[in-house]
Amino acid sequence: MSYKIPMGPYHPALEEPYKLDMICDGETVCDAKLHIGFNFRGIEHLAETRNYIQVIALMERVCGICSFIHTLTLCQAMEKLTGLEPPPRAQYIRVIMAELERLHSHVLWAGIAAKLMGFKTMFMTCFELREKVMDVLQAISGNRVNYSMNRVGGVNRDIDDPLSLIPVIDALEREMARTVIPIFTSSRTALSRCAGIGVLTHEKAISCGVVGPVARASGVRQDLRRDAPYAAYQEMQFEVPVQPGGDVKARLLVRALEILESCKILRQALTRIPAGEHFAGDGKFNFISGTATARVEAPRGEVMYSVSWKEHARNPSRVHVRTPTFVNMPAVRYMVMGARLADAPLIQASIDPCYSCTDR
Amino acid sequence: MSTLETISETHNSTGTWTEEGGVFWHNDPGLNVREVAKAMNAVGARFITITAYQLPKDEGFRLEYHWDLAGRLLGFVFALPGNSVESGKVESIYDLCEAVDWIEREVHEGFGIDFKGREYEPLLLRTGDLPGVNTRDAAAPAKSSPGLPGREEVAR
Repeated sequence: MSYKIPMGPYHPALEEPYKLDMICDGETVCDAKLHIGFNFRGIEHLAETRNYIQVIALMERVCGICSFIHTLTLCQAMEKLTGLEPPPRAQYIRVIMAELERLHSHVLWAGIAAKLMGFKTMFMTCFELREKVMDVLQAISGNRVNYSMNRVGGVNRDIDDPLSLIPVIDALEREMARTVIPIFTSSRTALSRCAGIGVLTHEKAISCGVVGPVARASGVRQDLRRDAPYAAYQEMQFEVPVQPGGDVKARLLVRALEILESCKILRQALTRIPAGEHFAGDGKFNFISGTATARVEAPRGEVMYSVSWKEHARNPSRVHVRTPTFVNMPAVRYMVMGARLADAPLIQASIDPCYSCTDR
Repeated sequence: MSTLETISETHNSTGTWTEEGGVFWHNDPGLNVREVAKAMNAVGARFITITAYQLPKDEGFRLEYHWDLAGRLLGFVFALPGNSVESGKVESIYDLCEAVDWIEREVHEGFGIDFKGREYEPLLLRTGDLPGVNTRDAAAPAKSSPGLPGREEVAR
């Protein structure tokens, strides 16, 4: 006899509200339905009531983890409508901030995944590492969550001594390579919870249009930093980790390898950052009428902003945001089908969902 | 023949391509949304999103479909003129592209646009039983009401 098990909207495995109604046969999940929108905020429409300074602060609050990425994408779209080109130093600072944000997001996720596996020591280790990244972000921006770094035409703050940050990156990379990655990839606890669990096949990943590490863990070689480079990414040498497995282990491995690649990018950006101004112009600019679109590879995958403006208007006439979780979430249905009920919390967490982004 | 020309040929379009605002736009007023989806599937493009615009007065809506082809962002515009219930309808591409499911549901709920040929599950973004309610007014109503500031007041 089949029965329905609801998980959420308030559940120990979920930091934010969403609901997964699972149809089970015994311990096996046969099908699932997802429900979102418990905290829908109407931010896109609210953005139409904000001017070109206020809208940056508003969109920074779409997500608490990748707040920099949201303002970066928005500012890149706004720059296309104003004709302001950020100077090279600003482009490098944007890469540094984006990669630090990726590091802290991936390490945070590794910690939460460890907790869901029942591996609390690893949770503490990951959060200690994340704290070091947060310290660097705070040292650069003065903030721990909403960094207020981006502006139209560049960034608000310079990095005074970029080379002083390299030892922190070295230490983080050493700890990841020496402790976190080997334990996640070889310990019996981690493998028994991750290997062969929550599989999203390559075909289904393409059909669902999933993005970011979820796509790359299903063998889809896709990364905007390489496919459509922005900021200073065209000057960086890095690999795009891809795993064919499609299971929780593959998603874990992709993020772990991306942490190492982020360290590689950070080291290049910090040593090669060019001298000069960190923003263009004198703060005065005009918008042309039209629509501009920008895309950025966030820690969870592609973020896209479409911004529409009328000439001389203070406010945008439309801001549309396509967040990565919004396209990755429907794939959870296929990941949990056939899985054990007890694995469902870890499987849904393996896409690194952000309901704040989804309920924007 | 370039990939963009191949796409035009696949869905029998004589329209041109122009790059503007970071997107390669296909300019053809006679475009059919399903033919475009089939052409995109044929070249292996990835669906990204639909951006809906509510136009002023009774001009209706504009839908922009975005697809990614090897890092290149492609855009197709579809106009839904008029302000009647019948005019706010467009064919669904859900059966051709699974990735469009939640995006169509979001546009349906936010702008009241009906995607023909598909069924909707309960509301995706909000609770309630009123499908196709425009959330624009719920988030920032044009006129103020007691206890709720209007759009212009908020902007000030």
